Amino acid sequence: MFAGYSALPEIYDEMAAMPGALRPHWSKFVALLERLGREEVTLRWENARRIIREHGVTYNVYGDPQGMDRPWELDLVPLLIPPAEWAQIEAGLAQRARLFNLILADLYGPQRLVRQGDLPAALVYANPNFLRPCHGVPVPEDIYLHLHAADVARSSDGQKWVISDRTQAPSGAGYALENRIVLSRILPDEFRDCQVQRLASFFRIQRDTLLGLAPNNRHNPSVVLLTPGPYNETYFEHDYLARYLGFTLVEGGDLTVRDRKVFIKTLEGLRPVDVILRRVDDSFCDPLELRGDSFLGVAGLLEAVRAGNVTIANALGSGVIESPAFLAFLPGLCRRLLGEELKLPSVATWWCGQPKEREYVIEHLDEIVVKHAFGSRAHEPYFGAKMGEKERAKLVAAIRARPHEFVGQEKVALSTAPVWQNNKLEPRPLVLRTYVTATRDSFAVMPGGLTRVSTSVLDPIVSMQSGGGSKDTWVLSDGPVNAVSLLSASGQPIRSGRSSAELPSRVADNLFWLGRYTERLEDTLRLLRCVVVRMTDESGADGAPELNALAQVLVRLDLLPERFKERFSLKELEHEILLLIYKQDRVGSARQILGRVRGLASIVRDRFSADTWSILNKLNIDARSRPRRIPLADALGLLNAVIVDLSAFSGMEMENMTRGLGWRFLDFGRRLERATHLVKLFRASLCHEAKIGSVLEPVLEILDSLMTYRRRYFAGVQLPSVLELLLLDEGNPRSLAFQFKALKEHAANLPGEADTAGETDEERRIAALFALLRDADIGALTQMAGAGTNESLNSLLADFVVELGMLSNQLTHRYFTHTVASVS
Amino acid sequence: MIYGITHTTTYEYSDPVSLSHHLLRLQPRELAGQQCLEHDIAIQPRPGVTRSHADYFGNQMIFVTVEGAHRQLVATSRSRVRVEAIAPPEPEDTPAWEAVRELCRRETPGEDLEARDFVYDSPLIKEQPEFGAYAAASFTPGVPLLTAVLDLTNRIHKDFKFDPKATTIATPLEQVMKSRRGVCQDFAQLEIAFLRAMGIPARYVSGYLETDPPPGKTRLAGADASHAWVSFFCPGAGWIDVDPTNNLLPSNRHITVAWGRDYSDVSPIRGVILGSGEHTLKVAVDVIPLPEGKFGLL
Repeated sequence: MFAGYSALPEIYDEMAAMPGALRPHWSKFVALLERLGREEVTLRWENARRIIREHGVTYNVYGDPQGMDRPWELDLVPLLIPPAEWAQIEAGLAQRARLFNLILADLYGPQRLVRQGDLPAALVYANPNFLRPCHGVPVPEDIYLHLHAADVARSSDGQKWVISDRTQAPSGAGYALENRIVLSRILPDEFRDCQVQRLASFFRIQRDTLLGLAPNNRHNPSVVLLTPGPYNETYFEHDYLARYLGFTLVEGGDLTVRDRKVFIKTLEGLRPVDVILRRVDDSFCDPLELRGDSFLGVAGLLEAVRAGNVTIANALGSGVIESPAFLAFLPGLCRRLLGEELKLPSVATWWCGQPKEREYVIEHLDEIVVKHAFGSRAHEPYFGAKMGEKERAKLVAAIRARPHEFVGQEKVALSTAPVWQNNKLEPRPLVLRTYVTATRDSFAVMPGGLTRVSTSVLDPIVSMQSGGGSKDTWVLSDGPVNAVSLLSASGQPIRSGRSSAELPSRVADNLFWLGRYTERLEDTLRLLRCVVVRMTDESGADGAPELNALAQVLVRLDLLPERFKERFSLKELEHEILLLIYKQDRVGSARQILGRVRGLASIVRDRFSADTWSILNKLNIDARSRPRRIPLADALGLLNAVIVDLSAFSGMEMENMTRGLGWRFLDFGRRLERATHLVKLFRASLCHEAKIGSVLEPVLEILDSLMTYRRRYFAGVQLPSVLELLLLDEGNPRSLAFQFKALKEHAANLPGEADTAGETDEERRIAALFALLRDADIGALTQMAGAGTNESLNSLLADFVVELGMLSNQLTHRYFTHTVASVS
Repeated sequence: MIYGITHTTTYEYSDPVSLSHHLLRLQPRELAGQQCLEHDIAIQPRPGVTRSHADYFGNQMIFVTVEGAHRQLVATSRSRVRVEAIAPPEPEDTPAWEAVRELCRRETPGEDLEARDFVYDSPLIKEQPEFGAYAAASFTPGVPLLTAVLDLTNRIHKDFKFDPKATTIATPLEQVMKSRRGVCQDFAQLEIAFLRAMGIPARYVSGYLETDPPPGKTRLAGADASHAWVSFFCPGAGWIDVDPTNNLLPSNRHITVAWGRDYSDVSPIRGVILGSGEHTLKVAVDVIPLPEGKFGLL
């Protein structure tokens, strides 16, 4: 395998010292890989991709309709770093984090660096990320930077450089961890034999640091991870890290400030929050004092920090130092603040606010990259060499007009490392993102990191947004590696129980609707299957009366257009049914409902076990061709498969979910939906049809009660027996009585204020529904009025539809109403 | 002069608000030539939390939280302030404007350190080529800074029409530049944009102005309004105020409350409410000259 590897000329390759010669620290790994053989490696790689899909590891790409939930790209070959080289990087990174922390403490404090001329004033005062309201706000232990990330690259001479820093809310550490988990699973022997340093201790230090910084509740602090929400590019990681670290995942709307303290809104009331690990940019964190147009933050948060009631990591305002302009001044700042030389150099950077540097940048536009000095990600970098005369003139004019807003940076010819592609090893440019976490009195470096590779050997842009891939990073060790367990010093599992105990209202709301939509999906699939079975049947070809009757039911349920009331061809019906299965933007289609299920599931995935999640994640109704062209037999196969997958999910829900409030809301939604579906289906079928005989059996089939019916009633299918089985039989899990009973039990166990009789409004409403059902007289309900309609059944069912709708609204109003914040 | 000032802000909410946080910047500043003799803010309903801090620019800022359903919030600020006229320097005694620009462009600030917050873009004032183009006519080579500013102010007063219907708080500066209409806040921000385009540090000042009732009429209660003007940095003299809306250098009829880079730094009341309905806002201001020696709140 290695024999066929050809690194690029004049580029440093991490594995090959020269054609045919391995760098020594790769020899063991490559030998192990050769021993596996090409076929086995390919198999392992496919295995890795399967695990990633099952874990639901995704990365969202903005502005791409298919971009939501794009599977994470992980390469089979890790990046190997030898011990001695790592020791240097590690020392450099720890020094860098210490330096950055001191700079932040000065900028948000005495600002001596500006006064003494170590830092040009414009870097601070013209910097939009310098947040004036945060100036003078004390932070616990003077830690501003709880997590620092630095992108490290290697140039062709082998020198390592930091090419950029992340101090705002660094991303990727969770992906690095997930990469490690996947790779150590598919290459377990290689991982062990190479003596790879473990990542777990880094996360334990991070967690302990955050817990230790809680200003109150020191014995049992509550830490939350604040996410902008599921549409963020790295939402997967927010959820993943929250679970791994045992923190509660929250959005801004879940938090509130009262009495200058931060609380999380749960169904059982307000619970205090002591530490916030934020993945929301600082300027969006408080609409009162920072950006007023932010919907991601918490009003009054900065005041809570000022009062010393909450610790925020990283400190609000820490984004200022991400600005590329700072890179030009780090060597001097390092000497001034630490009395040391910078151990890990930054890529050469010229800030155009200085006249000499500005002229240098303008004269060397071909060789360097021009960037926005304050690192706004809205600005793409300019590559002078690729620009036309006119564009260059425009850029030069812009630099001269507002010099302080530009920097020039040396282009680094990135080193390459092998990726497994097309069944062989190929070189790809790479950048290593490293992570440093604060401890009480120093900084600890993650022994590893997230290696990102570009898609093509010619493309120097390494970014997940532009479609690159990633690698695990193996920092090798000289001696045996102690496996650090995920147990903390006190022996407690890293996953604390807190996050399951606290159920934010927003999560309860999402679980309720997830329950409704998974049930709606199953109901829809069963309904459609009932039709498709009859169309693929031989008897269907001659237009069975059942098929016609079912079409009328679908019309009444607003699933088929009105014209199906008249004569229609089998082909027309087939076409419509396929659309009802596969078409995403068709109202009420299975594909559309599945979209809702997926969306809701991804928001609340931290509430499910990995197995449950993998079932949800597997649900798929994607058409391989235009729906019209799909053979009915294929559609039937798909309906069967998805119905089975859904029952696996409901099985998991019944057998694996703790009977907490989360489960109650999920099941409440399911029961409410099932009851509503039954009532609507009955109205559309049993109340109108003159030839009722042709719908009775399909209805039993749709409601999964045909077997029970046959076993219990030996006679043919009769309306009274159907009503008894599906309305009144409390033992039939598909009956209306069964749903009411379950709803009643749930309502009695939800938190809420009971009236003097000890009942909540919901309980009263359900009791009334139940009474209405029990009083029903089957005899009277089966009396047909004239013209083939059944008025008494219809009016009873109509009452149920209204009441169930009101029950849903009432629940929403009581538990989920999200009061909206607005700025004035 | 001594002034009694009452500034009442009333929010009405269509639906009950369960929780609200507000930031208030209503307390007149202590300055050479301005003394705040008394100050008090009353808020209805009574806030659960009231905390006072100095903000980044040294303005007094109060954080309040009101909990429990309310449909109305009234903040009444009462102040008694002594203002003395401080004569501005002679225009020809001020340095050439280019010298000021160069001073404020040096990498390491000296006496101009405090001014460095006010030379660059701010949230509501972003440099546009047309700002520099407009200002250039007043900033000819070698002209003393104050002379240039007086000329610029005079031109703004002449070229722009006072029109309360033309703009809102949200109207961007480019729009004001195009329509040539606006109110004191627009003119202040525009002049700041012009000055910054020339490299001169300039800040936004919010406060009050004593106004005369129309001839032959008596003063109507609540008829005054908050006012806004400009302060620019002039080495040697410090900060000099200038009022583009009235084309003058303030003397003893302007009362300074707060300053910042633009309106967004000094808005008198800013709030976030938890509630789903609409809200309306009413502001009433009275600035009443008081005889010397009379004490006690109004």
